[in-house]
Amino acid sequence: MSLRLTFDRNLDLPALRRLVSQIAADRAAWSALVNLDIEHRHYAQLCRDDHLDVWVISWMNGHDTGFHDHDLSSGAVAVVEGELVEERLTIGGPPRRRSYGAGTSFHFDASHVHRMHQAGGGPAISIHAYSPPLWRMGAYAIEADGALRRTSISYAEELRPAASDAA
Amino acid sequence: MPGEPDCEVLLADHDPDLRAELVQADGLDRAYVALSTPLGIEALPPDAGRPLLDAWHDGAAALPPEFRAWAAPCVSEPDAAELASLLDRGFAGACLPAEALLTQAGLDRCGPLLEVLEERDAPLFVHPGPAPDTLAALGTTVRSEPAWWPALTRYVAAMNAAWHAFGTFGRPAHPRLRVCFAMLAGLAPLQRERLVARGGSTASDPDIFLDTSSYGPRAVDAVIRELGVDALAHGSDRPVAQPAEPGLGEAVEVALRSRNPARLMRLAEVPA
Repeated sequence: MSLRLTFDRNLDLPALRRLVSQIAADRAAWSALVNLDIEHRHYAQLCRDDHLDVWVISWMNGHDTGFHDHDLSSGAVAVVEGELVEERLTIGGPPRRRSYGAGTSFHFDASHVHRMHQAGGGPAISIHAYSPPLWRMGAYAIEADGALRRTSISYAEELRPAASDAA
Repeated sequence: MPGEPDCEVLLADHDPDLRAELVQADGLDRAYVALSTPLGIEALPPDAGRPLLDAWHDGAAALPPEFRAWAAPCVSEPDAAELASLLDRGFAGACLPAEALLTQAGLDRCGPLLEVLEERDAPLFVHPGPAPDTLAALGTTVRSEPAWWPALTRYVAAMNAAWHAFGTFGRPAHPRLRVCFAMLAGLAPLQRERLVARGGSTASDPDIFLDTSSYGPRAVDAVIRELGVDALAHGSDRPVAQPAEPGLGEAVEVALRSRNPARLMRLAEVPA
């Protein structure tokens, strides 16, 4: 971990958003953690303390988190290279989809359920910050009949699409 | 403080009217205050300790209505009649130093005090602090550790031992006594997996409580996982440390600030 950040309280959404943008601009702080691996989305923790954790995520074609929540944590994401797609689950309709290119960022509170995947067209790198730090997460799968299933996982698990919603 | 780094006392931190305003600002109806047990006054020989304990009881009895106080009985020569008269004066229960309750012998020695509490349906508050023998062992050496050192080492170890001693020896002798352990009992409940692995019992005990002083969301959440939410009561180490909210939602807040303290102190039920 090459970044030393300490906060005495949890960060609000604007602070998280500013932080990921600042870190994204400081390539020297995280470039050693970039690891583009065709097999797996690579996620490396840049720092973790009582109020914050920050990750560098390296995405290749087809890498996909599947739908998930962050339990108690709010978060922000800055895309440094490439393009990522965020999808939000809706009932009775297609997921709400939004693309984020290099230089853009977004944030979300702890109630947010989403899925992120690489948009195609080359690798992507993104900076993710969560406050309070990730601990438990919910990973969602959509059954063939449309039923939603949630699995509670630790933050150390690799988020990936469940078999039934990979397609 | 015996065995502790020097610590500066600001008299303004102990101004009863200012403290009463803080109780109100915290949204509390009442704060239960205790003599600082780590000072070791309860562990002094009776002749040396009594003038100070008398002064504490007289001062505490005159506090504004936002406060009630725990009696501070002498533990070097426990006097059940004296504690009974303090309860008659309106003290809410008794606060005893954890190091006086670490072993069966310690619990036996304080047994007359615990019996009075049990008979009167008044609670026991277990707080870090020395027993007569451990006070003597602390001596007067000037310490170079940081100010937080005892609170993170000696206090934690003593609360952990007092928790296990009460469950093992204290509860069979005092089946109806309500007990509140300060500082989440030094996180002793987090040792339950280890206790089970070694053949100990983890039977639930609805008359055991833990206060949250100086702990925050992670430790409170972890102890709730072990014991359930009904065992915890909001506590603080003011003025040494400010009270913190666990931030675990309204149901937990109501349990820790109203419902559980009402059960511990035998107050009329507070509507949720």
